[in-house]
Amino acid sequence: MDGKEEIIETEIAMGPVHSAAIEPYRVRLFVEDEIVRDAEITVGVNHRGIERIMEGLPVEKANSLTEKVCGICSGVHLWNSVLVAEKGLGVEIPERASYIRIIIGELERLHSHLLYLAHGNEVLGHETFSMRLFYIRETVMELLRLIGGNRVQYGVPIIGGIRPRADLDEMKVQRIREGIDLIEEKVEAFAERFTSDPMIMSRITGVCPISRKDALRLHVTGPTLRATGVDLDIRREMPCYDPFEFEVITQDEGDVRANLLMRVLEIFESVKIIRQALRDLPGGKVVDRSWEMQDTGIIKSYVEAPRGRLYHSYAIEDGRVRGSVIRTPSMSNIGAMQYACIGHHITDAQLGIVQCDPCFTCTDRAIEIVDLSDNPRR
Amino acid sequence: MDPSYSAVTVLGTVILGLLVSLWLPGIERKFVHARIQQRIGPPVSSPGLMAALKFFYKKTVRPSSPLPRLYNSLPIVGFISALLILLFLIPPMYTLGALASLVAIVGFLKIEEVIYVFMGSLSRSVMSMGMPFPDLARGAKHPDLQRYFLEDLSSMRAFRLIAFGSFPIYIALFVPAVMSGSIFLKDIVAYQAVHGPVLFTLAGVVGAVVFFIGYMILLNEYPFAILKTKADVIEGPYMEYAARYRAFVYITRGFLMFTLGCLFSVLFLGVPPNILSWGILVNIAVAAVFPILMAIFSAFAPVFTFKQFYPVTAAASVLGVLALVTAFV
Repeated sequence: MDGKEEIIETEIAMGPVHSAAIEPYRVRLFVEDEIVRDAEITVGVNHRGIERIMEGLPVEKANSLTEKVCGICSGVHLWNSVLVAEKGLGVEIPERASYIRIIIGELERLHSHLLYLAHGNEVLGHETFSMRLFYIRETVMELLRLIGGNRVQYGVPIIGGIRPRADLDEMKVQRIREGIDLIEEKVEAFAERFTSDPMIMSRITGVCPISRKDALRLHVTGPTLRATGVDLDIRREMPCYDPFEFEVITQDEGDVRANLLMRVLEIFESVKIIRQALRDLPGGKVVDRSWEMQDTGIIKSYVEAPRGRLYHSYAIEDGRVRGSVIRTPSMSNIGAMQYACIGHHITDAQLGIVQCDPCFTCTDRAIEIVDLSDNPRR
Repeated sequence: MDPSYSAVTVLGTVILGLLVSLWLPGIERKFVHARIQQRIGPPVSSPGLMAALKFFYKKTVRPSSPLPRLYNSLPIVGFISALLILLFLIPPMYTLGALASLVAIVGFLKIEEVIYVFMGSLSRSVMSMGMPFPDLARGAKHPDLQRYFLEDLSSMRAFRLIAFGSFPIYIALFVPAVMSGSIFLKDIVAYQAVHGPVLFTLAGVVGAVVFFIGYMILLNEYPFAILKTKADVIEGPYMEYAARYRAFVYITRGFLMFTLGCLFSVLFLGVPPNILSWGILVNIAVAAVFPILMAIFSAFAPVFTFKQFYPVTAAASVLGVLALVTAFV
């Protein structure tokens, strides 16, 4: 906006239901001759009150509810929620369980990134790449089903380790190895074709960029932040990731191209981590049930979800959850989504939003009801 | 010419054209798009024939439009304009003089283009207006603004398409006219009967390429789908069509594919559509090849914004002018 006041006369409202959005959210674009001058994103369409439902539930029951926060990164929500309890109760988990949690987490990152790339291509209008990426993603989904028994909510972590049914035998290890080899090969082929297509590059290079300074100002997180050149990944601070070698991928431009490439390159890093975990998978038990429930204060935990920093916190009182708070990465990224659209064509606006990998269903954590007649809020 | 013979020719050709056109969208989706996209795809009869049949039996919903009847009638107007183009391409109709000329064809194509402007401006879909959020709520950035419907946007884009997007196809149409020295279809066909198809000349080849680009733009296919791109305007002008009116949208699209294929056959190959001649097979082949080529291009292209659209259209138009100049030489 260059600091000068502009008179905006026209609004184009997209959503809450729109074919370019996989979830319901409201976008108001303020335009002049199809160029976006300002933007406003409103969430709240999908609010389900999960924290409120968690209040007073037994901890393990409440943990399993967190898996319903998101249909894409359900595993990492459960993992983080379980980590809160483990931190509060001082539970040490077996090493084998930690490795399997990481395998699940990285597989989830793979499918989330592949979904992102597929959706990005769909918004780009490239149906072929979108279809092919969804096809690659199927392999990941099947691997998750192999381990956890379900494709979307696999329910693996529990306090003290993982569910014994998700333990990996030789057959499962072999199939995961074959699966990630196939994924790596196909993603490499996609990346080569994608980056060498001049029409695609023309559509995404320099589109909706976010500078490093703005990304920090807007509290951007995850791959969207790393696409602006900031080398920040919570996985490096998580002790369970210590045994693994991986690169934190960064790009400098912060535009759609940088964001898409970020995810492609992160896929290879996740594959690298899974390979190491499978190679060095320790033996022994997968769950420690020797812990005892006790009251705790508010415990906080952060993990690196596919979209960025995920926060969970609650206190335990008589074995029940109190004051649960969940903050998802997209909540931090909404400011960037609004900002990225400005100055670009309407058709690129959805691309600018999608480049931040929004997941509004997990973001809808709070709702405010406003009575317009006398304006009380609750 | 015997009037009954003429009537059989015209009627038979139109019916055959309609039957063929119902399969073209299916061929495009099933045999090209789906194959490239490594998926099974719909049954070949589904997009053009079965979808249209199904919609004829659906309950008609009143569109959110200030003039719903006019809005609903527009796909039929589009179909009639495509039908008229095909009619005047059939040899017995050449006796009608000016109506069987390039000027008339340009006129009918313009009708087909203009209806999107009306469609867009007459539609008020729930997608852009019926929001549960009051924009006067606390924190709204810009309350009380004039709000565009997504269809309004598509209507303005239709204007732009009329202004510059359809240049290539109209330039390409006149390449055979320049070579034959006449705008009448009769003369263009006769010229090619003597001198061979226009397509086999330099101007003809360039003109054919330009025609094909114009064909894709006119049919609003990806990457030129600015009128109905899913990334913003969703379906734009078509959004509110339901039941039999949507069926007409499907039928018209397939029929326009066939008609433009026949137009190319007449102008660049000198083969008019005539059910009583083996030449009809050429018309059908061209009508099938064009959507196949179009599907290949669209399957490998992202949707253009104006940043890409303007240069491509300008380049195609320049190429068309070159073809015209070559034709003069």
